[in-house]
Amino acid sequence: MRFHIITAAFLWAAFVESRKIRGISSSYKRFYRERKSFLCIDGSKIIPFEQVNDDYCDCADGSDEPGTSACPRGRFYCTNLGFRPHYIPSSRVNDGICDCCDASDEYNSHARCQNTCWNLGQKERAYVEGQMKTLDEGLRLKQQLIEEGVLLWREKQAQLRELQRAAEDLQIKLEEHRKRKHEADRLKEQTLKALKAGDRGFRHQNSTVSHLFQLLDSNKDGSISLDEVKAKVVLVHDETRVLSEDEALTLLGGGHQMDLSKFQNTLWDVLTRGDGYKIKDAHSAPGGLMSEDPHLKAADRAAEWEAADLKKVEEAYETVNMEISDLQKKLEIDYGTDWEYLFLNGQCYKLKVYEYMYTLCPFNTVSQKSTAGTEVSLGLWGMWAGPAKNRYSQMVYENGEPCWQGGSRTTSVSKDQHAALASGRTQTWSTQSNFMCCVTSANVNPCDIWGRASFTRSLVLPAYSLTGTQIGSDKTIK
Amino acid sequence: MCCWFFLRRMGPVLLLWVAVCLSGSWAVDKGNFKTCDQSAFCKRQRAMKPGESPYRALLETMELTNTRLTLQLINDNNKVRLLLELYRLQGNITRVKINELKPLKPRYEVPDVLIREPPTEPLSLLSQDENGVVLSLGAESQRVIVSARPFRLDIVEGRDVLMSLNSRGLLGFEHLRMRKDTFSYKVTSTVASVWDNIKRVFSSQADPEAENKEGTDPANPAETAKEEEEKVEDGMWEETFKTHTDSKPSGPSAVSLDFSLPGVEHVYGIPEHGDSLKLKTTDSGDPYRLYNLDVFQYELYNPMALYGSVPVMLSHNARRTMGIFWLNAAETWVDISSNTAGKTVFGKMLDYVQGSSETPQTDVRWISESGIIDVFLMLGPTPRDVFSQYASLTGTQAFPPLASLGYHQCRWNYNDQEDVRSVDAGFDEHDIPYDFIWLDIEHTDGKRYFTWDPHKFASPKEMLQGLQDKKRKMVAIVDPHIKVDTNYKIHNEIRSRGFYVKNKDGGDYEGWCWPGSAGYPDFTRPDMRAWWASQFAYDQYEGTMENLYTWNDMNEPSVFNGPEVTMHKDAMHESWEHRDVHNLYGLYVHRATAEGLIERSGGVERPFVLTRAFFAGSQRYGAVWTGDNAAEWDHLKISIPMCLSLGLVGISFCGADVGGFFKSPSTELLVRWYQTGAYQPFFRAHAHLDTPRREPWLFGPENTALIREVIRQRYTFLPYWYQLFYLAYQTGEPVMRPLWVEYPQDPATFALDDEFLLGRDLLVHPVTEEGARGVTAYLPGKHEVWFDIHTFQKHNGGQNLYIPVTMSSIPVFQRGGSIIPRKLRVRRSSTCMEHDPYTLYVALDNRRTAEGELYIDDGHTFNYEKKELMHRKFSFANGVLSSVDLEPNAQFTTKSWVERIIILGASKPSMVTLKTADGENQLEFDFDASMSVLTIRKPGMNAGADWTVTLQ
Repeated sequence: MRFHIITAAFLWAAFVESRKIRGISSSYKRFYRERKSFLCIDGSKIIPFEQVNDDYCDCADGSDEPGTSACPRGRFYCTNLGFRPHYIPSSRVNDGICDCCDASDEYNSHARCQNTCWNLGQKERAYVEGQMKTLDEGLRLKQQLIEEGVLLWREKQAQLRELQRAAEDLQIKLEEHRKRKHEADRLKEQTLKALKAGDRGFRHQNSTVSHLFQLLDSNKDGSISLDEVKAKVVLVHDETRVLSEDEALTLLGGGHQMDLSKFQNTLWDVLTRGDGYKIKDAHSAPGGLMSEDPHLKAADRAAEWEAADLKKVEEAYETVNMEISDLQKKLEIDYGTDWEYLFLNGQCYKLKVYEYMYTLCPFNTVSQKSTAGTEVSLGLWGMWAGPAKNRYSQMVYENGEPCWQGGSRTTSVSKDQHAALASGRTQTWSTQSNFMCCVTSANVNPCDIWGRASFTRSLVLPAYSLTGTQIGSDKTIK
Repeated sequence: MCCWFFLRRMGPVLLLWVAVCLSGSWAVDKGNFKTCDQSAFCKRQRAMKPGESPYRALLETMELTNTRLTLQLINDNNKVRLLLELYRLQGNITRVKINELKPLKPRYEVPDVLIREPPTEPLSLLSQDENGVVLSLGAESQRVIVSARPFRLDIVEGRDVLMSLNSRGLLGFEHLRMRKDTFSYKVTSTVASVWDNIKRVFSSQADPEAENKEGTDPANPAETAKEEEEKVEDGMWEETFKTHTDSKPSGPSAVSLDFSLPGVEHVYGIPEHGDSLKLKTTDSGDPYRLYNLDVFQYELYNPMALYGSVPVMLSHNARRTMGIFWLNAAETWVDISSNTAGKTVFGKMLDYVQGSSETPQTDVRWISESGIIDVFLMLGPTPRDVFSQYASLTGTQAFPPLASLGYHQCRWNYNDQEDVRSVDAGFDEHDIPYDFIWLDIEHTDGKRYFTWDPHKFASPKEMLQGLQDKKRKMVAIVDPHIKVDTNYKIHNEIRSRGFYVKNKDGGDYEGWCWPGSAGYPDFTRPDMRAWWASQFAYDQYEGTMENLYTWNDMNEPSVFNGPEVTMHKDAMHESWEHRDVHNLYGLYVHRATAEGLIERSGGVERPFVLTRAFFAGSQRYGAVWTGDNAAEWDHLKISIPMCLSLGLVGISFCGADVGGFFKSPSTELLVRWYQTGAYQPFFRAHAHLDTPRREPWLFGPENTALIREVIRQRYTFLPYWYQLFYLAYQTGEPVMRPLWVEYPQDPATFALDDEFLLGRDLLVHPVTEEGARGVTAYLPGKHEVWFDIHTFQKHNGGQNLYIPVTMSSIPVFQRGGSIIPRKLRVRRSSTCMEHDPYTLYVALDNRRTAEGELYIDDGHTFNYEKKELMHRKFSFANGVLSSVDLEPNAQFTTKSWVERIIILGASKPSMVTLKTADGENQLEFDFDASMSVLTIRKPGMNAGADWTVTLQ
């Protein structure tokens, strides 16, 4: 509404203004009151009033010729009723090119200028209205995004806390499991030792001795004969060879018979040592025989069980910790004062410029892919790099693929307020890659053509508006 | 633009080159280009010793008709005969032609360079004896003395020898011969001698002398033996340079001749070299070389060949100016020696005092690889006479469209339409005028000329219309190498019509250039040129309209993988080897393109075509620039002698890349370059792809203001520039000229090349030193006065004037005695200024008089040929300034009027009266007593009217 009032004011002002003085605004009217003489606005000279706008430059400041092209440094005021008024350099008056929409600059030329102010005004008003709407919408969306950002941030924080709590729990569990595994291992060790040392549980040992004795005493006469030894005992390292008389005799302590008590003190020891002789067809060494021991078996099983449990807990702990550090890394990134840029994380945007496809994954990577399919990294997330006043206006991606002349590719992504307005979106970003190099193959790299030239292309992020070119969002923030 | 970028595109194959380029050396790789020693014919010819000429004139063979003298010369060593033809041409020119009397096959005679068969004047015999002949050269008291043994020619006026030919006995003429070690030679020579015998029997009267000689030959075993002994040197039948072998099917064919110039210490011309205006002696190094080459990062102050060649040398002393035009398009070397070159001023003084001084003399020797000797001796005597003599042979500068004299904004590359739009808008935003924006090779679809990149320049007409709406124009590049691609219409058509240059084996010649593998159209063929020209038609060259003009680059031709980055000499242009036509190729490309632009408008509009390669006559087709220079102070300095040298040999429309092509200029250098370029004929900023952007507004507001100011100065002088170009078109006088041209008797001007004149009336001494606080300008003319165009301060001529300078200074002076019309209302482009009023700057001389001219036409059509023009003369004398019509038969009206008259060096009048056909009225005026400047306010008469303004 304010706009209409201003327009009306101008209408009125223009109407009462001196009709003679071309090319001045109402605020300068006071300098051009019709008198006999005119004082150049810079005060340098007094000239007859007829010499104002007489197409000859008298004043050094050009003030005597506001409506002609006579003065080199003059300016002409386009009233542009119905649209915005503005100044043009005097050199554009009557040059055959329509500059003022009200055609007032071409009053003495062959150019046929139409008064387009009303149309332009209409358009601008519509545009401004549209902009206002977009702006409102944008602000609303921005607020929404901030809220969402805050929520998201809180959610993430909560998630982090949860994860940390889980980690703590897991740590306790882990300790517990470690203790238990340790205990089981110790028990197993003890059992084994006890079995080996034989200083514990005589009955158990005895029965084992008698069990072996009975195994050797094939005829069950209560003593082991030379033949029985030859039939049942073999060399550990050569099970197929039958022992000789002498070897059998040596095993029996030089006699031909051996009773249980003597067996227990001599041959049993030899056989259970397992380094020279063993009983034929026995599947395992004397240790194996021991593992058949139910106590040992139980201890073994318990230890295995505990180890597996521990591993599971350890893995869980690691996973949780990784997630925590991931999340922390993401949360460490500066997403703006109100976390309004948080939503960009995990999104990717594509921009096709001629034969190249650019992909920007905010807070992550920028890359370029040619139609031929070669992909070049143009940078990894670095930091916000806007000026101090407006730090969040620019992102920098660094350490892209190295250039052949040294240095690596970097890309800066700038928020483009102007383009944002023009495109009817509230957030537009332009990428500006600063490739200080190029040519990786015989083919032309686009940076030769325009990277160097600080070429700018707007990349419209679907930031606060609902349209856009969003692609493959991998939602890495959980 | 040169091979820098190409190197990078060529990838691994040329990695070594890349490494060399990257090693930080910015100089030319001299090893890529031949020295005289590496060019077999130059080495052979240069090895000849003076004073042993084997040539003898056979006076008895002399025939004199009204228009020419012919005479046979014989080489006593090998008995080969030459035919000398001597013509007296209108306008004090003598033409000397020497060819083999009976060449094995025709030798190349350069076509299409002379604008017509030069009209002759009668020659008459003055005296004759067994030692020689004396001929009178027309009305002047000039004679030619032909001496028989050894052969020499002397041109004499009164008692002075103006010029002598073969006075040192260095005439060399390698006759065509069969290769002796081949079977075909033996067979053919036998057949030939049989045929000769038959001929002799059947034509007994023909050539009695020859018959006689030949008849005696077998009886003279000594002579026969001598001929047999003629040794076959390396490089006569095959020559290898680097990896390239030249098959030389015709064997040795060089020609050379020496010229002595008594009394001459200053010679100029033979562009293009990155060297001083005054040519140096070459005794201690290589001769100056003329062989059109794409030299990557050329070095200054040496005689290496560059992109173009004009085989014209001017000699000058206080009494006479002359010119030698050596019409030969093959590789050429020019040796210069002088008997005073080594002497110090003191030594010369001593000679003078002791009276023992020999006359100073400059000796020149021309050596060409093939063709014939066809030389035009332009005998002056004034510089203007030499210009008009040369113009009568090769024509004058094409009269350019007015807009092309404005400022040109170029860069490799403006990336796309949006880029063009934003640069265009930048000029408006910063209120800087410009007329042309340029597109380099990247605008095409894959370096296919006559096409547009479908993405970056998707709607060229829209873009052109956008420029047209602001009365601005565009230039797009069209190079002569054509991508070998069966999907490319231009290639297919050229191939199917058989228009490509052929290799020695008869197939289409292919070389490597921007598009990769490329063919080279044979522009020496008229049918090829006609077809090429037709491709510029609006319906052929899609996306074009009236405000698109053309730029021919790489037309030496540049062949990246060829010997010395150019075409193989044994490539074939129909029946001629490339060797014969090499230096002519670029002229033909330029010509065909200019003709295309004329044709597309039905012959109405003037073309504008810029070329890098050129030859004698290229001035007829448009503008030339000095190629790929660098952003260095020395390159700024050299732009002056380089363009002065071109101007002396007819090519007035010359400029250097403002800012320097390679590398990035400091802000100071850039500003100084704009200040210099604004006062040189072709004013274009250009930059390499690898350099940061440098549009005028990118260096801070102060520098933007400095650049804006000097570009605007250029535009205020456009009426004067236009008038100078009209003069150049009419007379061949250079637009930008050395001081000695106007002050031929003042030896202080003879070697000056850090300042120059525009026409007669503006003297420019650009600031070309880094950090300069002042410059010393020589103001010529003892009785002249010069006015600083900025302060109106008056200085006397005939002095060295120290001028303190700041960054805004560009020392320019208007000669007292001149009237220069200017347009002070600088607008967006020259076209926008069409109807604007004039301010006349009347600078009075010591006699309080002044003269000047004003030329106006529509600025862009050929209608001036139909006298649709206005040409007026202003004169001021006895307190009366008047304007009279110089072309009363011409028809043109203008809206422009005279808004102001500024009289420099005036005294205060009491009254100023304007008288026109409409009556009399008094004018207001303002007088600045401190500077003696009278400004007459708004006289208001039409620029085309007759009027007088009287001061009382």
